[in-house]
Amino acid sequence: MLSFLIRRLNLLLITALILTIIAFMIDRTVTISHATTTLDQRNYIAQYFSYLWQIINGNFGYSSIDQQGLLKRGLVFFASTLELCFVALLFSSLMAIPLGLLAGLFRNTKLDYMIMTIAIIGLALPVFWVGVMAILLPSIGGDILPVDGNLSLVYDIPVVTGFLLIDTLLVTEQYGFFAFIDRVAHLILPALVLSFFLIAEIVRLTRHSMTMVMRSNYIQTAYAKGFSRTKIVFTHALKNALPPIIPQLRLQLSTILSFAMTVEIVFNLNGIGKWLFISLKSGDYLVLPAGMLIITGFILIFSIATEIVMVLISPLRRGSLYVDK
Amino acid sequence: MALLDIRNLSIDIETAQGKIRVIDKASLNIVDGSIHGLIGESGSGKTLIAKAILGLHNSNWTVTADRMFLGKTDLSKLSQKERRQILGTEISMIFQEPSSYLDPSQKIHTQIESVLPKKTMQQRFRRILSKIKRAHISSRRLQIKELLHKVGIQNDVAVLNCYPHQLSEGVCQKVMIAMAIANNPRLIIADEPTTSMEAVTQSQIFRLLYKLNQLNNTTLLILSNNFANTSGISDYMTLVYCGQTVESGSYKQIMGSAMHPYTQAMLKTMINNEEIYEHKAQLYTLPGNIPSSNQLPIGCRLGPRCPRAQRICVKNPTLTIKKGHSFRCHYPIKLS
Amino acid sequence: MLINNGFNEDKIQSPLRYIWSIFKGKSIAVVAMWLMIILITTSILSPWFMPHSPLTQDPESMLLPPYWAKGGNINHILGTDDLGRDTLSRLFQGLQFTLGGALTITFFVAFLGMVIGAGAALTKGVKASVLHHLLDALLAIPSLLSALILITIFGPSYTNCLIAIGLSLLPQFIRASYIVIEQELSKQYIVALQLDGATKTRLFRYGILPNILEPTITILNRLFTMSIIEIATLGFLGFGAQLPQTELGSLIANSMELIYLSPWLVTFPGLAIFLVIVIVNIFAEGLRHAVIEGEE
Repeated sequence: MLSFLIRRLNLLLITALILTIIAFMIDRTVTISHATTTLDQRNYIAQYFSYLWQIINGNFGYSSIDQQGLLKRGLVFFASTLELCFVALLFSSLMAIPLGLLAGLFRNTKLDYMIMTIAIIGLALPVFWVGVMAILLPSIGGDILPVDGNLSLVYDIPVVTGFLLIDTLLVTEQYGFFAFIDRVAHLILPALVLSFFLIAEIVRLTRHSMTMVMRSNYIQTAYAKGFSRTKIVFTHALKNALPPIIPQLRLQLSTILSFAMTVEIVFNLNGIGKWLFISLKSGDYLVLPAGMLIITGFILIFSIATEIVMVLISPLRRGSLYVDK
Repeated sequence: MALLDIRNLSIDIETAQGKIRVIDKASLNIVDGSIHGLIGESGSGKTLIAKAILGLHNSNWTVTADRMFLGKTDLSKLSQKERRQILGTEISMIFQEPSSYLDPSQKIHTQIESVLPKKTMQQRFRRILSKIKRAHISSRRLQIKELLHKVGIQNDVAVLNCYPHQLSEGVCQKVMIAMAIANNPRLIIADEPTTSMEAVTQSQIFRLLYKLNQLNNTTLLILSNNFANTSGISDYMTLVYCGQTVESGSYKQIMGSAMHPYTQAMLKTMINNEEIYEHKAQLYTLPGNIPSSNQLPIGCRLGPRCPRAQRICVKNPTLTIKKGHSFRCHYPIKLS
Repeated sequence: MLINNGFNEDKIQSPLRYIWSIFKGKSIAVVAMWLMIILITTSILSPWFMPHSPLTQDPESMLLPPYWAKGGNINHILGTDDLGRDTLSRLFQGLQFTLGGALTITFFVAFLGMVIGAGAALTKGVKASVLHHLLDALLAIPSLLSALILITIFGPSYTNCLIAIGLSLLPQFIRASYIVIEQELSKQYIVALQLDGATKTRLFRYGILPNILEPTITILNRLFTMSIIEIATLGFLGFGAQLPQTELGSLIANSMELIYLSPWLVTFPGLAIFLVIVIVNIFAEGLRHAVIEGEE
């Protein structure tokens, strides 16, 4: 286990280094083409190492507009993006996993076709357009659920964790639960819009995984043992069908974040997507490398975490640990 | 007395090119307490017959049979629930490549335990009592241990705590057999139980199956593509070619006086050291190869390859039974 | 050993022909295929047969609703925008840019990705390892972000937008095709081919390519869907096609301020994107199923 962890961390470090090189390249290109500061005359390697040293020290540069540290601002914005993703993921998993399992179980029946139609529709709807339409429909939009910003301007929430859902709960003596409810109300529509794509994706993955498991030989054994279909699904199929979805979903993480960024811009949520968008529009190009490093850093850490979780829950993977591939 | 009596079992499978009759009027008669070998080339439909007996077919199969009796129960008229009660307790099955037939995410212990009869309330109560008394070995644990010892696994504790991918094929097959005999079924169907195993393990498995038959009087149906391998232990044999049962009879009848040209050909392919072959002589085979399932010939399916075939062979021959020796051929050998 | 082959009629349909015959049986997929062909040809030929040019401004008829709604005009089937330009013509022009761009991206990315993916799978050692780490790093960047970065560097224009999206989708496609080829490579018949002394190209052409049809269709379909959505998204954000070029995403963005005056202008381009993706997905699903059934 330890050697596995070390190997993974090693890979992580190499990937992170490559990413800093890319960030450095973007940083230089942007500074040269939009020359705002005096150019560094040293050679690129020396420049890179000083850049790397800055990043390790947590100095991602300063915004050219309000001279604030990019790392801290970026992290606060990113926390809000993650919140959106998390709520959307939770909602769509609750919806999609049962649907996908049903579709896989009753493959090529009317139920299956119906569920797959939903999945194709979810995949084909462009996220930003659904967002626009959701704002447009006045019955759900303007009147009942708010569609602008993270939180009503009435509330002044100090940043503690960056996750507004938690921060609003920390100020209950000031606002009661109203701030929290307001935050939830602000999240519902964007999360719903983001779930369209996620549901489609999870339904597909679950259905595929379930079909594969139900076709496998050990399900035949279970039938031959005289187990009922329900019992087979609950004792054998679920345990084998659900874990493979997690790494598949992990591969989709960067796509999910892409969509979340679009949703933020449409709904005017203060997430990393909107931050990057606004900054780029106003000519603050240094946010690009900073934002990239924050997002990719999260994705890397998250993938290691999922891999460890997979090893912990799936015996087959645990077996493959000892075999050096 | 017949334990399993199947007459004219036909299976049609729906495919892209329409219905294909994969099993054509197969008949099988298994005597109680015997070992019956069902022999045919791969793809001849042995597994399909076995699955039809168990009722494990997909929705795109249509299974029809004139008679399909296990003892006194009619297998073709069972409801899903009744069938489930029979499976595992009256009939159980052993598969080829056993490691893929064990659930990869469960320990062997859990899998064997799931086959054992359900605990009654009394047993549960007793188990709680024994826990209080700190008795380490529960009765179930003992039962499982006994089962594993029966199939020749000595280090039961180690095996029980393993996942299937940690065990070899031979051990997996023994575990499968242990699971199959857990409820003392009347019939065990073994589907090519020894493919992809080493010779030593093969003979171990066969000896184990033979012992089961002798000690528990369990009836065995062994599916195999190897004539020589199975003929050693089986009392009765049935040969399948392309979904048709061509000949069926006792070991002596088949080996001594084969009636069907296909059986004859199979016997000739067995290499025995007594006959002296000419140097570099070609070994005997039937001409041609097995037709693909969408291009089956009409009538007797051996027809185009059969050395004795004549014009009438495009019609399906009827079953001829003589002293328990049955075959389907228009021009049988040695019929005087 | 063809010494005693009793069958003279061992001819079996060629696999592609067989797959086609299965595909023809799937009516929805065939309809989707025809719709796709019609969509592509009409969007290419639209300048020649559309009654209105997408750029002609008509001050007489501004912000017309579609003809079935109240106050609609049969001359402008889907209505007009705030400058009196015909929505249908603009839609077709937008489709031309979006669909054409997506097809171009799909084609180039598929080619490049296949070549690099196959190269990575067939080579070992330092080259493959460098490629892997680079891919790992690039894959961690969300495609929208990398497209934004590239456009910031190149400057916003339609061509640059296509290049940026292509480059941002490339790592995903390389990884996907790499995984597919790698899985195929571990199979037994590839070993047999290798023992026959097949060169790498031969191995790829005859051993791998015919057997990865089904996953390739899935990957291509995904690539196409993603590139349409990304083109539209970038257009919507204002980083894609610049005026007077119209593209479906920028059509939506331009009509945003008119959203309460004439919601049709926002609705139609979105529906067009939706329909294109649905049609292509149904076609690809049908094809994939035909391939799966054909291989069984």
